[in-house]
Amino acid sequence: MNRGVLIAIAVLALAGALAFAARPREATADERVDQITTELRCPVCQGLSVKDSTSETARQMRDLVAQRVREGKTNAEIEAEFRAAYGDWIFLSPPLTSWTGLVWLVPVAALAAGLALVTGRLRSTGIPRPSEPPSSTEVAALRERVAREEAAEG
Amino acid sequence: MSAGDLGAAALRAALFLSLWGTGAAVYAAWRRDARALASARIAAGVGFGLVVVAALSMMFALATHDFSILYVAENNARETPLFYSIISLWAALEGSILLWTAILAGATAFIAFRGTVAIPRLATTALAVMFAMLTFFLLLITTPAADPFARLAVAPDNGNGPNALLQNHPLMALHPPLLYLGYVLTSVPFAYAIASLILGEGGDRWLVATRRFALISWALLGVGIVAGAWWSYAVLGWGGYWAWDPVENAAIMPWLTSTAYLHSVMVEEKRSLLRTWNLALVVATFALTILGTFLTRSGVVNSVHSFSLSAIGPILLGYLVAILILSVGLLLWRSARLRDAGPIGAPLSREAIFLFQNVLFMAATLTVLLGTLYPLVAEAISGAQLSIGGPYFDRVEIPVALALLFLMGIGPQLPWHGASRATLERQFTAPIVAATLGAVAALVTGTTALAAVLTYALGAFVVATVMQEFGRGVRARRTLHGEGELAAFANLFRRNGRRYGGYVVHLGIVLVALAVATSQARTVDTERTLAPGDSVEIAGYTIRLDTIRPVSEPQRDSIVADLSITGNGASEHLRPALVQYPNSTAAVGSPGIGAGLRDDLYTILAAYDQRTLSWATIRTRVIPGVSWLWLGGAVIGIGAIIAALPAPRRRAVRMPVAEVAVSAK
Amino acid sequence: MLARVARIVVVVAILGLVVTLALAFRRDPHDIRTGTVNKPAPAFTLGRLDGSGQVSLADYSGKVVVVNFFASWCLPCIQENPALVRVYERYRSSDVVMLGINFQESRENGLAYVQRMGILWTSVADDDGHVALSYGVFGPPETFFIGPDGIIAGRHIGPIDEETLVTAIEKLRGQAATR
Repeated sequence: MNRGVLIAIAVLALAGALAFAARPREATADERVDQITTELRCPVCQGLSVKDSTSETARQMRDLVAQRVREGKTNAEIEAEFRAAYGDWIFLSPPLTSWTGLVWLVPVAALAAGLALVTGRLRSTGIPRPSEPPSSTEVAALRERVAREEAAEG
Repeated sequence: MSAGDLGAAALRAALFLSLWGTGAAVYAAWRRDARALASARIAAGVGFGLVVVAALSMMFALATHDFSILYVAENNARETPLFYSIISLWAALEGSILLWTAILAGATAFIAFRGTVAIPRLATTALAVMFAMLTFFLLLITTPAADPFARLAVAPDNGNGPNALLQNHPLMALHPPLLYLGYVLTSVPFAYAIASLILGEGGDRWLVATRRFALISWALLGVGIVAGAWWSYAVLGWGGYWAWDPVENAAIMPWLTSTAYLHSVMVEEKRSLLRTWNLALVVATFALTILGTFLTRSGVVNSVHSFSLSAIGPILLGYLVAILILSVGLLLWRSARLRDAGPIGAPLSREAIFLFQNVLFMAATLTVLLGTLYPLVAEAISGAQLSIGGPYFDRVEIPVALALLFLMGIGPQLPWHGASRATLERQFTAPIVAATLGAVAALVTGTTALAAVLTYALGAFVVATVMQEFGRGVRARRTLHGEGELAAFANLFRRNGRRYGGYVVHLGIVLVALAVATSQARTVDTERTLAPGDSVEIAGYTIRLDTIRPVSEPQRDSIVADLSITGNGASEHLRPALVQYPNSTAAVGSPGIGAGLRDDLYTILAAYDQRTLSWATIRTRVIPGVSWLWLGGAVIGIGAIIAALPAPRRRAVRMPVAEVAVSAK
Repeated sequence: MLARVARIVVVVAILGLVVTLALAFRRDPHDIRTGTVNKPAPAFTLGRLDGSGQVSLADYSGKVVVVNFFASWCLPCIQENPALVRVYERYRSSDVVMLGINFQESRENGLAYVQRMGILWTSVADDDGHVALSYGVFGPPETFFIGPDGIIAGRHIGPIDEETLVTAIEKLRGQAATR
């Protein structure tokens, strides 16, 4: 089979698998509780999420979230309830809406800047000469280089 | 003379020798004076011995419960078992700095005796830098700032005992020393880099001299971090291994820059490019270790390692500032000389891939740094209080990690200077097919989260490329040397340890990536209040609470829940507990972990009936794949050892012309 | 040109880092503010610890209310209790109401604690902890000062002393008098 065809088929299959994994799904009640409690900070722990903490306070918070989910509240409403009581501090990632959300820009900016710097240093074409048998001077140079590298490796 | 007196005297003598050594090394480098170098050597050797004596004295004082020493009174008690008494050397600030100083003194002695033989002037200047840093740390531990041998006027009857979390698990013996070795050894490439800048040597000799140190410090730091993750998992008892806690972040930042360095340094060795960048990376790695120590010790950020605010904070910050001023100043001064001659390479060449990889690592490091400090900044500017934790870091770093996995696969396959389309097609057909198979494997095993499927695909991609490389290497050796397959395979490691050891490290990284992806995507847990005899089911396992009972030991009281686990072919007993140490207000949770190759069963005793022990709240987590994390760490360590070992002496090989043309492709 | 810009950025960034860290020393890591101060006090109806009926926040509207969250396993609660008792005695026959909310333990333990510590003011049980969560409580002991207008005027995390209590109460009584 032609290499190109094989690669094309493999890439298509891979894309299909990824699309399947990324398909939008309705979250179950338990999954919703998990989603919300992963984002909430346990007030009495060192930076643990409410989902992970074993403290009594975290357990009561999980309980409250589960109750609100049962009552039919949306994720946003439940989060708003906690924000009203504890402030933005209770969320483990800064909300996008306020100026503190600038922190989300940092990785993007760093990547963009770095990529710009690097691509500026690269040559546009880089296809090497097709290989021909080396001349005798090239062979001698290659032998000398082998001897040098062997000496350096040791 | 008691152990405390001996230790204190030894440290002061070492301080004097370190000051002498700094002066002697400076003079020896400046005037090329052999006698000054000899005296610096003696100062280094004897100084190291003295610091070791001080550390041993502290261990002895801890083991014999000498409470006239403040450090021992605060971190030891009569009931503390001998093992934990001894390793309490690094249980708190002063002792930790003593350990740090001992390692630094050892590295200084090593350079004094081995390093200065190879490249006298460069190494001697580096030695002077090492002595200067050693002097700083010795000053810290011989002044009230962090003196471990500070005395109490009246020795108490019994001490406080170590922090509850630090005497709960034997891992305490491994994690801090490994991490400190990694941290401190980054100062060696740093010292050489500074020496190279001071002397204005444009060459790459300092790279060769410190190559092994850079690799070893990277490996120790990496293994130390994995040990820390294991600690978080087995000791802290919340069911995870990485919480993006400020102190965890402090350790991973220098590791990230160190990894970037290990790769871009290859570009410098092969093509003499990127000199300024590599020097900057070495400086950044070292500076980040000091920043990390500062964040851990100063108390400015709340974290798992919460030390109380002490004078050490501003002092460490001052040290960090001094280092930054010195290094950045030197870099700016000498940068004209170090400029690269021309463009680096084609976009699809190994150099370019290494550069992209560097960009990704730097973006990752910057993100971790800013994420850790952002709450401080925001509060200083506007008084707003916010938290940055797992969800932020995960969202940002996972795409970066996936991109790095991808680069890890294509980098080693691309030739230097650039690749043609035919090369690409030939090299990457099998890996792309492997990637698809990896994605399918993920879906089949029920791992359906997008990031996890991508990880499986990219992991398979990398494994396929590594296997291709091994195949090519074995074939080349057979053609050139006529070796059998097994011999050829073994010799790949012996003769070309750096390259093939590096591939083994890549395989270890893939294991770690798979472990993280699988455990994050498929962990399930359940919390239930049970009476003895009740059971709960999760993921095919049945967990039965047999008994709840108190256990009394000299240094602690515990409540233990005996659990029987059955199902999925498993049959074991786990004993999660809540442990109460006399010196702590809250009980410490001790998880019961049933480790397995496929999943770990993680049980926590969350609460219990305090009056009659008639019920217990048990939290059970089934965590698939987490054991691969520790395995991956071990593979990384093995790969690093292979890469660091010196190659045996080689006989000259005469190669026929035709074979040269074939192998040069 | 690009290299020059990069160099300046690096220097500025390092300066920024150092300044941030230096500023961090001024911050008290234990000072955490939450969102309920200066907002209306969340309403609640909880059962008395001795089982003799229910109490609502609305019962006290128009009065100065001092709400103290406590638990028997909380050592600083034991420490601050004498101050609470003295303040209670002082304002006993006035318009100031003291209310204790027991949470994260059984009613039995809470009642035993109340009897043992000589707590004579009304104590109720927050069984599921939801009231504490609505107030933004971090952990016992925490004290909230609610004015006659039903707004939370202030709050104190950790053991409280007599002086702080009295100052806050007097300020609110002053407000009430000028209505």
